[in-house]
Amino acid sequence: MYGRKGYQLVKDFASGEKGQLKPFNSKLFDETIEECRQNQRLIQSLMRKMEQEGLDVQNNRNADYYGALVHHLSLIRNKRCLMAYVHNRADIVRDLGWRVGLELPPEIQEKLTTLEKEYFKNHSAAIKSYMGKAGIDLNVDMVPPKDPYIKVRVVGDIDEGIVMSDKTTNFARHSMHFLKRTDAEPYIARGQMEELTG
Amino acid sequence: MASKYYDIDDILTEEEFAPVLFHKPANRVTIDPSAETNYVEQGAKVELPFWLAHELHLRQAVSINLPASFDQKTRLEIQADAACVDLRSRCPYFYEFGCKLQPLVTDRTLGILLSTAFKIRYKERLTKVFTATHLTASKFLPFLTIEETNLYEAAHLSMTAFKKWRTGGPRFQRASILGRKRKES
Repeated sequence: MYGRKGYQLVKDFASGEKGQLKPFNSKLFDETIEECRQNQRLIQSLMRKMEQEGLDVQNNRNADYYGALVHHLSLIRNKRCLMAYVHNRADIVRDLGWRVGLELPPEIQEKLTTLEKEYFKNHSAAIKSYMGKAGIDLNVDMVPPKDPYIKVRVVGDIDEGIVMSDKTTNFARHSMHFLKRTDAEPYIARGQMEELTG
Repeated sequence: MASKYYDIDDILTEEEFAPVLFHKPANRVTIDPSAETNYVEQGAKVELPFWLAHELHLRQAVSINLPASFDQKTRLEIQADAACVDLRSRCPYFYEFGCKLQPLVTDRTLGILLSTAFKIRYKERLTKVFTATHLTASKFLPFLTIEETNLYEAAHLSMTAFKKWRTGGPRFQRASILGRKRKES
């Protein structure tokens, strides 16, 4: 009652690491909505009581009015918590679209709801079409590199026969390659390769 | 105000409790734990979360008093040695909450209390981030409020970035958004 569930939901979001998602807490989400319904039922019964007593709801400030007011404020508070939860998660999903591209690793996928996955897909597609029309890839490093090629080691599982801009290579695990920066960048961002320096 | 609607820290700050005095009664409301019925008497003293207290205050239904975290005991401790006071256990959003309370309570000295506490703690603790060893720093981290912890982490991040720039390191990293690497079996 009185914004408790909304508070728990926001606390759950804040308890995760900054900038990272926890699995969508649909249980708490539904409980918050249920709490909103309870508040609404009480508001309606208090309003009806006032009308039955023949009092004008707008102008008569009696105990029923203030009771309804408290429930109304709690409902607005729960709404704010729900909105903030969804909004902040959407921010992170958008960020994912920029950093990681179209494919999501499975451990992230299981933390998103179907609506969030839909949002991610559409957002990534929008980014891709924007970059296509602008003619440049906006995801590359902003600082011009000293050397257009870098040495990388493959740490994750990559499908065979990926076509790079100048050759086709087989990426076996723990193999080292000398690749163009722009080709290697998306793999490094996804954690499938790591850059070797020195 | 609109830009803070979705801000998680703002929502959590407003959840802090403040004692209020009810000027009007309220029916079908079970926030007064000492009342047996679901009715709040006029003149009842209840602890409400700030978001509720603030709205009711705007409609002149309650008046707000200073919470325990800002009482005389804390003030004396801050006067004695602000840098060592465990503010987080009193109120994790000490400064933000104090700023919100300041225009609503009759106490004029709250603003001065907040700014002196912050100035002393900043000078004594937060500027030492760059030179403190991990051991000394970890002793005081649990005492910092959320706002101070954010400042500490920002300083720490810029320090790490500077060291990395000096020594040079891989420019590309696994996207931090994907979380920590799991240990491969």
